[in-house]
Amino acid sequence: MKNEISTLRNIGISAHIDSGKTTLTERILFYTKRIHAIHDVKGKDGVGATMDSMELEKERGITIASAATFCEWKNHDINIIDTPGHVDFTIEVERSLRVLDGAVLVLCAVGGVQSQSITVDQQMKRYKVPCIAFVNKLDRNGANPFRVIDQLRDKLGHNPVAMQIPIGLEGDLEGVIDLVNMEAIYFDGDNGEILRTGEIPESLRAQAAEKREEMIDKASLFSDELTEAILEEKDVSSKLLLGALRKGTLLRAITPVLMGSAYKNKGVQPLLDAVNNLLPCPADIQNEALDMDKDEIPVILSTDPNKPDVALAFKLEDGQYGQLTYIRVYQGKLSKGTTVVNVRTGRKIKIGRLVRMHANQMEDIETISAGYIGAIFGVDCASGDTFVSPEINYSMTSMYVPEPVISLAIIPEDNKSQINMSKALNRFTKEDPTFRSYVNDETGDTIIEGMGELHLEVYVERMHREYNAKVSTGQPRVAYRETITKRSEFNYTHKKQTGGSGQYGRIAGYMEPCFDEEFIFENKITGGSIPTQYIPACEKGFRLCLKKGPKLEFPVTGVKVAITDGASHSVDSSDMAFQAAARGAFLEGYSKANPVIHEPIMKVAVETPTEFQGPVMGSLNQRRGIIEGSQEDGPMSVIEAQVPLSEMFGYSTVIRSLTQGKAQFTMEFALYKQVPKPIAEELIKQKNQAKEKK
Amino acid sequence: MQHANHIEVNQLKWLGYSTDNILPDGGFGAVSARAGVGKTSLLVQIALNSMIRKQTVLHISLDYPVKKINLWYKEMFQLLVKEFKVDQERELWETILPYRFILTLKVDKFSVLRLEERVKDLIEQDIFSPRMIIIDGLPFDESVKDILLELKPLVKDLNAHVWFTVRTHRHEQPGADQLPIQMTNVKDIFDTIIQLHPDGEQICIHNLKGGSGELNTAKLVVDPSTMLIKKM
Repeated sequence: MKNEISTLRNIGISAHIDSGKTTLTERILFYTKRIHAIHDVKGKDGVGATMDSMELEKERGITIASAATFCEWKNHDINIIDTPGHVDFTIEVERSLRVLDGAVLVLCAVGGVQSQSITVDQQMKRYKVPCIAFVNKLDRNGANPFRVIDQLRDKLGHNPVAMQIPIGLEGDLEGVIDLVNMEAIYFDGDNGEILRTGEIPESLRAQAAEKREEMIDKASLFSDELTEAILEEKDVSSKLLLGALRKGTLLRAITPVLMGSAYKNKGVQPLLDAVNNLLPCPADIQNEALDMDKDEIPVILSTDPNKPDVALAFKLEDGQYGQLTYIRVYQGKLSKGTTVVNVRTGRKIKIGRLVRMHANQMEDIETISAGYIGAIFGVDCASGDTFVSPEINYSMTSMYVPEPVISLAIIPEDNKSQINMSKALNRFTKEDPTFRSYVNDETGDTIIEGMGELHLEVYVERMHREYNAKVSTGQPRVAYRETITKRSEFNYTHKKQTGGSGQYGRIAGYMEPCFDEEFIFENKITGGSIPTQYIPACEKGFRLCLKKGPKLEFPVTGVKVAITDGASHSVDSSDMAFQAAARGAFLEGYSKANPVIHEPIMKVAVETPTEFQGPVMGSLNQRRGIIEGSQEDGPMSVIEAQVPLSEMFGYSTVIRSLTQGKAQFTMEFALYKQVPKPIAEELIKQKNQAKEKK
Repeated sequence: MQHANHIEVNQLKWLGYSTDNILPDGGFGAVSARAGVGKTSLLVQIALNSMIRKQTVLHISLDYPVKKINLWYKEMFQLLVKEFKVDQERELWETILPYRFILTLKVDKFSVLRLEERVKDLIEQDIFSPRMIIIDGLPFDESVKDILLELKPLVKDLNAHVWFTVRTHRHEQPGADQLPIQMTNVKDIFDTIIQLHPDGEQICIHNLKGGSGELNTAKLVVDPSTMLIKKM
C-alpha cells in the first residue's frame, strides 16, 4: 500500500437501478487487473459480477450490500464502494457517501436522469461529495448522451461539462472523442483493453471543436491562467485545462461528463483517467469530528499519519472468521497491535487483523493510513461507531437514519430455525440501522421493521440462505400512529385507599398537538402544588402512555403535555401514585383532544412510456394517491405522487401488468398523514375483530 | 379543515377579488414582466387563492420540473399563512394539495392537441378536472396567436380560464396602448393583462387591460422580499 495521499481516491459508484453500475465496476476491476475475466450481471456463464458478492445479489442481478474494493490505475490507489441502486437500500448509499471523497454518477444514455438518480444526487449534496458523470449504454437503441447532459442541468441543477463526444451511437458506437486532447479513442482487443488513439473523424470535427469551446469556456471560470491563455489566444494545454476542471469539480460547481458503454467495453479507461485527474484525494476534503469533551465543538481532522487516530466504522459484515468491520481512517493511522477506544461504548480495543477488501476476497495488511478504507476483524461494534486514540474523545458526526415505515411478523418453522433466526436478526440489525426487530409482547411474534417491502423481503431470504432459518411471514403491516388534533385540558385525581398506605396524586394541565417533536413535556407548576420530586414520575407516566395509544393501540406522537397544577398528600403520595395519576390524566385529556390515526405516506415516482401515462395515473388514483404532477420528457413520463404505504403492497406486479413491464417505480417515505374516516373505521373494526378472536 | 375558515388567506382582495375568479369561464389572462421579476410568483398566489376556494388548478410549466414548481407553491403558501396568521398550516396545505396538478412539458413538445389529450385523460379517469389553468413559459412569438386561437374553444369547453406568463425584454419598447410588444397582436384574445414593473425598490402591478376593483384604482405592488401582493 502506497502512502502518498495525493494519489489516493475513495470513490463511490452511484446510480439508478439498472444503469449498469455493477457492470461498470466489473470492467474497472478487469482493466485494473484485479480480476482476470469478465462475468456479467445475469450473464450466461452463471458466475455473476464480482462485486455482487452475495448469492442473492447474483441471482437477482441487483446489488444490495456495498462491497468495498481496491484497485490501482496509473500509479493511483482507488477504493471503490459499489452502492445499491434501489431506494429501499438507501442507508447503504448514505453510509457509502459519508466515507467517500468523490463519486461517479452513472446515467443511462436512454433512460437519462431517473428518479433514483435524483435521490442519490440529493444524498451527494447532503454530504458535499464532488462527482463526475458517466453516461453509460451508448450502444442501446435510443441512446442520446446530450439529452442526458441537458437533464443533468434541468433536473439535477448541475453544471455539466461534456469532456467527450461519441463516435457513432447505438449499434454504430465505435469509441469516443477526447475533447481535452482532441483525439479519437477506440477500444480494441477482445475486451476493449487495447486503446488506440487517432485523428478525429472528419464528420465530427466541427462538433468536437464546438464542444471543446464550451468546455474551455466553463473551465475558465476556475483558472485565471486559463482565462489569460484564452484571451491571449495561446494554446490551451491539457494540464491547464484539467487543472481548471478539477478545481470546478471539487467545488461541486461543474460536473464533468464522460461517456461510453461498459457492457461493450468502451469508455471505461478514460473514466478511470478522469477519476485520477478530476476527483479529490482525501487531503482535498475537509472532514470534521465532534470533540465530546468540549461540548461537541467541531474539530477539523487532518490526514497527518502522526496525529491521534480517528476512524469510522461504516459497514459491518458477519463472515466465517467473525465480524468484519469496514472502516475509514480520517486521521492518524491504524496499525496491527495499536489500541483504540470505541467512543460510543468507551471500550478499549486492540487492533488484531487488518485487511483490504476486494469484494468477498481479502488481503492482509499491516497499516491503514489516514484517508484509506479497510476492514478490521473481530471487533464488536455497531455501524457508525468512531474509533479514536485513547488521548482524544472525538466522534464523527452521526449519520442520518430514517425511521422504519413497514413491519412484518416472522414465524420460525422449527426450533433450529428459531435459533438461527435470532443469530441472523442480531447481525442484520447491527449492520443496517434502518432494519429493526422486536418481539410483540401480546402475540409473541417476532416483528421485523424496515424501509419497504423489498427491504424486508431481502432480509427474510438472507435468513434462509445464509443462516438456514426457515421462516414464514405474516401480512406486511404499516406503522400507523395516533395523534391529537386539538388542545384539551385534564384534571385527574388518583386516589386509592385499600388499607395500609394509600395512593394519592392529582395532576391538572393541558395537552396540545405539536408537529416538530414526538413528545414534549412541560412543567408549568408554580408554588409546589406537585412537589418537585414527583415531576419525573409524572413525565414517566405520560411517556408510558405514548407507547400504546388509547384509540387503536398504535404509538402516540406529536403531543405536547403541560402540567399546570396538582395536589399531593404528605403520606399517600409516591412516584407510583403520580405515574398512575399521569396515566389517568392522559386518558382524560386524550379522549377530549380529538384523537386521529396517522399513516405513512410515500413519495412515489413512476417512470413510464408516455402512452401508459393514463393507466398509471389511474392506478395511483385508485390507491388513494394524490398525483402531484407529471413530467413528460421525450418518450418517457415521470409521474410523481403521494400514496399511502398501505395501498402500495404488491404495486410492482400491478404496474408491470399495466405497462407491459416497461414502467418502473421508486418510493420513499414522505410524511405521516391523517387516515380518512372510512379507513380509520375499518382499522377499528379489524382491531375489534382481532380482540374478539383472542 | 374548513376552507371557509381560511378565506382570510386572501391576498387577492387587493385586486378586488375576494371570492370570485379574476377571469370569466373561457377567459384568458396574462402576467407580463421581464425575467426574474415575479410572474410565476404572482400566478402561484392567484392559484393558491383558487385552491383555497376549492377550485382546481392545472399548472403547466414548459421550463421547470414538478419538484421546483411544488417548491414555489410551498414557499408562497408558507409566506401567505405567515402573513395572514393562519393556524394549522399543515392541515390547510394537505387539504388544498389535491386541488392542484402540475404538468411539465418541453416547450417544443407543447401543442394544444397534446394538452387536450392529457386533460381529457385526467377528466375521464376522474383524476382531475381543471377550473383554472396556468401556462408558464410559453414563448409569445409569431406562432402564439394560432396556439391561443386553438386553445380558446377547449378552455370554454372545460369551463375553465387560463393565465399565461409573458416574458418581456428590457430593450423592447411597448406597443400601442402601452401593451408589451408581444401582446399587441393577440390583445383581443385576452380579457385581462397585468404587467409587473420594477420601480426603484418596488415592483408595481399595472393593469393594462380588463380587471376591476382596486386593480384599476389603487396602487398595488409586489413586496420584493416575499413576492406577496401588497397595497401601497
